[in-house]
Amino acid sequence: MANGNISVIKIRDILLVTVPSDPDDCTVSELQEQVLSSMERHSAKGLILDISTVETIDSFFARTVSETVKMVALMGGLTVLSGMRACVAITTTQLGLSLDKTLTALDVDRAMELLSDTLNRSEGRK
Amino acid sequence: MNSHCKGEMPIDTENDIVMARKYVREAAVALGFGVTDVTRIVTATSELTRNIYVYAGSGIIRWHPINGNAAGLELVFEDHGPGIADVSLALKPGYTTSKGLGMGLPGSKRLMDEMEVLSEIGKGTIIRIRKWLKR
Repeated sequence: MANGNISVIKIRDILLVTVPSDPDDCTVSELQEQVLSSMERHSAKGLILDISTVETIDSFFARTVSETVKMVALMGGLTVLSGMRACVAITTTQLGLSLDKTLTALDVDRAMELLSDTLNRSEGRK
Repeated sequence: MNSHCKGEMPIDTENDIVMARKYVREAAVALGFGVTDVTRIVTATSELTRNIYVYAGSGIIRWHPINGNAAGLELVFEDHGPGIADVSLALKPGYTTSKGLGMGLPGSKRLMDEMEVLSEIGKGTIIRIRKWLKR
């Protein structure tokens, strides 16, 4: 089956989740649950969703991702979507899907940078 | 012509959506579509096979190359589900009868070069989409 393993790695306060390249709907839903329970278990402040191997984002996938971003925000976490391929960016936009309010980065490296900067800034304000 | 370019498969389970994406990707790549068009075709396939699974329960997808003056790929999605009451309404972005985003039909139309929807209440739906190879 196409079910790839969902890898969740904790780096300091941040969870790095790699989305499998061609997940079925079940795997996408599982990913959401796994991400949320990991946020709780690790008291993480940030989440990087790495989609650099993902070749197709359809409306179901996009809806689940934008839902997950909202859910993570309700738990006090910040999400960065990283590594969207050019062909996926073109297709997702033309399909009419909106991931407007989602923070994005070109790769995991920049996503880490963006997350630590944003988290530090909000810590500094306290 | 590569044998991958023509085929059909039934859509009965959620995993069939993944398999359809895989086969259609192979066909589009074998026909010589570029990576962005392949992604467009596979994404439209994902939307339309999911519609079959969600609304009709089961159906069939067929794909074959178009030859002649212009070359391309045609895909046909057929089901014997409830049918679409108002096709022009279903083609409007944001219109949905499920909890979806209402992007499946209008979005797939935008991703492809051509789309035809034939539907009859109580009988089913046939959707044809085409993408032309740019030479």
